[in-house]
Amino acid sequence: MRVEYINPFVEAAFNVLREVLQSDVRRGELYLKSTSMPVMGVAAIVGLAGDVEGRVLFDMDKPTALKIASAMNAEELKTMDDLVKATITELANMITAQAVTKLHDLGFRFDLTPPAIFTGDNMEVSDADVEALIVPMETVHGKIEINVAIRERA
Amino acid sequence: MAAQSTEQKPQASDAKKERADKIDFKMVTFSLAGKEYGIDILSVKEIAKAGRFTYVPNAAPFVRGVYNLRGEIISVIDLRIFFHLPAERKADEALESLLILRVEEHVFGVIVDAIDKVVGISSQAIQPPHPIFGDINVKYIKGIVENGGKLYIILDVARIFAPEREEERKAEEAEAAEERAAPSRARAAERAPEPVAGEDVAATFVRETLGTFLGFRVSGLNEAWFEARYAEWKRERSGAEVQLRDASDAEAFLEGFSSPCSGRLWDEDYADAVAAALPDISAKNINVWNPGCGKGYETWSLACVLRRRYPDARVKIWANDSDLLAISMAPNMVFPENGVPEWIEGFMTKGRNGLGFSQAVKDSVFFEFHDVLNSSPLPPLDLVVTRDLLSFLAPAEQNRLLGDFAEKLKPSGALVLGANERPGGAWTALSSGAVTAYRKE
Repeated sequence: MRVEYINPFVEAAFNVLREVLQSDVRRGELYLKSTSMPVMGVAAIVGLAGDVEGRVLFDMDKPTALKIASAMNAEELKTMDDLVKATITELANMITAQAVTKLHDLGFRFDLTPPAIFTGDNMEVSDADVEALIVPMETVHGKIEINVAIRERA
Repeated sequence: MAAQSTEQKPQASDAKKERADKIDFKMVTFSLAGKEYGIDILSVKEIAKAGRFTYVPNAAPFVRGVYNLRGEIISVIDLRIFFHLPAERKADEALESLLILRVEEHVFGVIVDAIDKVVGISSQAIQPPHPIFGDINVKYIKGIVENGGKLYIILDVARIFAPEREEERKAEEAEAAEERAAPSRARAAERAPEPVAGEDVAATFVRETLGTFLGFRVSGLNEAWFEARYAEWKRERSGAEVQLRDASDAEAFLEGFSSPCSGRLWDEDYADAVAAALPDISAKNINVWNPGCGKGYETWSLACVLRRRYPDARVKIWANDSDLLAISMAPNMVFPENGVPEWIEGFMTKGRNGLGFSQAVKDSVFFEFHDVLNSSPLPPLDLVVTRDLLSFLAPAEQNRLLGDFAEKLKPSGALVLGANERPGGAWTALSSGAVTAYRKE
């Protein structure tokens, strides 16, 4: 993945999470991964197209998703209902959109696809062909892993 | 599959029965140095007792000679010597146990310690070879199977005796050398006492410690350099401890390995040498891969060299490194004025903070945070430049990457490695200057 793409995603994730959660966010060590990986329970995915092709996946476990959705809606949410799903989807959209805006300012053209959300146990994502950059984010509500896989259109 | 069924206790007996019912693989079993081996019966033509082989001068040590098998002359190979196992040398008249094998068109005689019997098994029961199993290179092993309380190692005859046997043997020897260098293998210690031609035990330890301290792997790629350097090192250290005790020793040993102008912009002399080594390319678009670009000095220098060498072409360089800190500064490098070699200044423009590369040069380079061990989606390439990267990868990865380069390069494409690295048999050198470019065969 191009070096120029990394920072916008990291910054956008950091800014958006800190803003919506109104609390401290810590970024973990970035690393690369190419094998299939387990999904913690809730995964929101946003596709990217344009000069590049790829996707951004936001991965967290269920309790984290519920707590984040509760914090964002300022009410206690206990079950994985439509509101929670819509909230997490929106979070994914906000972060990706902000990253894409930053990238646009740098001269890279990306388009977004509407986000989708997957929930369930024992899920796994595999795309061995594309290497993903993992951006771990520690929030007070739990860990979110942002998994960015973008490649130049050949 | 077999491993699973033995774990599940209640079903174990069922599974075993089922397995025993489906005998679809028969092998001839025999022993070598006290261990049991098997060969697929379909490649065994017959078994025989024979002796008085006719010696063939200048043959490889594992070739015992030729033998007249009812009018057909076959070569006889001592499998024990081939696998570096202890072989008892019988008196000349004594008869040896011989397996007559047919591999494609060729018939071979193979000497083993003793031929046991024919064993029928289910091919389902064959388990893949484990790297630490046995004294034989894993690539010659088809699998392991348990039968009647004994473990049999099934040899892959086609791999051993395929026509390119000679090359494979060389590769095997190179690999054996690498195995000695790999620190994580407990086997390395076991193998060390084996006689290694022209090399003492201390050299083996030096190979190992280079891997431990700096991740540097001695392999066919850099063997020549290592041997020369080791001889020099012994002279330098005359009397003192030859072995490397810590990372700084290892660094001292590796001093001189890295290619010219590593970690800085290339001098004009070196840039000219690189340009001279590169083949003429008539294509309008030139795609270049530069894995292991580090901080980016190499890539920028290369970009400038290529602009001079191929002024009419559109050059695109994909530069990768898996060190995020190093590569993250690469795209926007700024240099103090008068701090760059003169020949490069022409490719730079003055910015607020100093000299930066011009937009045209910048547009030709993509820096990517990428691990070469993961798959690298790239278009067909004209050039691969990777200096001193492969030597720091495990030998298996080195070979895989060289294969990857061969696959991605266009037929007219060229590969440039570090000053002390040689890509091996499948590549031919294009030039013999200070820098060598290679083309796949």
